[in-house]
Amino acid sequence: MSIFNFFRSPKKTSAEQAKERLQIVMAHARVGRSTGPDFLPMLQQELLAVIAKYVDLDQNKVEVKLDKGEDCSTLEVNIELPVPGEGTAKVVPVKPVAKPEARPEAKPGEPAKAAAKPDDKKEAKADDKKAEAKADVKPEAKMGAAGRA
Amino acid sequence: MGTIITVTSGKGGVGKTTTSAAFSTALALRGFKTCVIDFDVGLRNLDLIMGCERRVVFDFINVINGEARLHQALIKDKRVDNLFILPTSQTRDKDALTREGVEKVLEELRKEFDYIVCDSPAGIEKGSLMALYFADHAVVVTNPEVSSVRDSDRILGMLASRSRRAELRMEPVIQHLLLTRYDPERVERGEMLKVDDVLEILAIPLLGVIPESQAVLRASNVGMPVTLDEKSNAGLAYLDACARFLGEEVEHRFTKAEKKGLFGRLLRRSA
Repeated sequence: MSIFNFFRSPKKTSAEQAKERLQIVMAHARVGRSTGPDFLPMLQQELLAVIAKYVDLDQNKVEVKLDKGEDCSTLEVNIELPVPGEGTAKVVPVKPVAKPEARPEAKPGEPAKAAAKPDDKKEAKADDKKAEAKADVKPEAKMGAAGRA
Repeated sequence: MGTIITVTSGKGGVGKTTTSAAFSTALALRGFKTCVIDFDVGLRNLDLIMGCERRVVFDFINVINGEARLHQALIKDKRVDNLFILPTSQTRDKDALTREGVEKVLEELRKEFDYIVCDSPAGIEKGSLMALYFADHAVVVTNPEVSSVRDSDRILGMLASRSRRAELRMEPVIQHLLLTRYDPERVERGEMLKVDDVLEILAIPLLGVIPESQAVLRASNVGMPVTLDEKSNAGLAYLDACARFLGEEVEHRFTKAEKKGLFGRLLRRSA
């Protein structure tokens, strides 16, 4: 505003801090709401189970995110694959699941890692440290009806 | 068929009752036949704010229970034509509100009134859910303050999932943000959330900004809706908000700090 600002410390004003805190706390609150029947944890579990069939993966290195845009939503799945050599990696493209309502009961506690260990080396692309699968999901009418992104 | 407008907020003390009184008065001043209902069973206050506390004989709950007819409970405002108040019970609790009972009364009011303004209690329990259930429009009253903004967001979630319109998969409840107790000087000093900050966070259309004003307390002291204090910024801001609600384009006032001269600064007078 004026020359006085030059001398002022760059500390955020309390109003700016208020805004930031609100944005953080409400982003969390909305995750459950905006995705409707909160299917993300279940989706994550099932994706993990499928991927674990082919790749030995660390469950903590998987991130599933749903972002809502103006006219389409993005389902982002980030999977960090293990260092080559330790396990064999077969990267499978992940197809997005877009129908939250047709979902069977999930057992949240169930470990997602399947018993099958990959030994098929033909298709192994071990040079990829990190594979990223991004997919656009056209919003279903129901998902759109949640309204608030 | 009348339109139901619910004035809600989640958090208490942000100005729901003040807004219900001021907004319904503004609608009536525009010539619309308007009824304002107190949904805060057990903590009746709208009658005091409207200045009709000594004229309450029957109330909303009596009508729901069939102990009185609607017209026996409706109180006609003495200052503004077309304005009626339906007070609530001071002795009962929220369980007295049944969905069927509320629906019956609202349907009867719809036939007769252009607008039915529901003054919601605070919280997200039965009383406030009942007040928002039948809403066509919701005026979400928010203060530029963290707890109020968060609670408003919660109420927006309720409107999107627990209202009748949501349950029947009809057109959603039309949401309006009314930012009250706004102090432009504190905003300029970086001590208060800006209008734009709150809009960015809540992402619903802005109906109006009501400046923090001493006129609000003065009006409630004497039982007069602040809209009738034509000299006050708050009253004018409510009239503007009402005009916007009716589809007029009115520029927002009172959102910038007034430039004060030396004299003004020394006297520190506020509206």
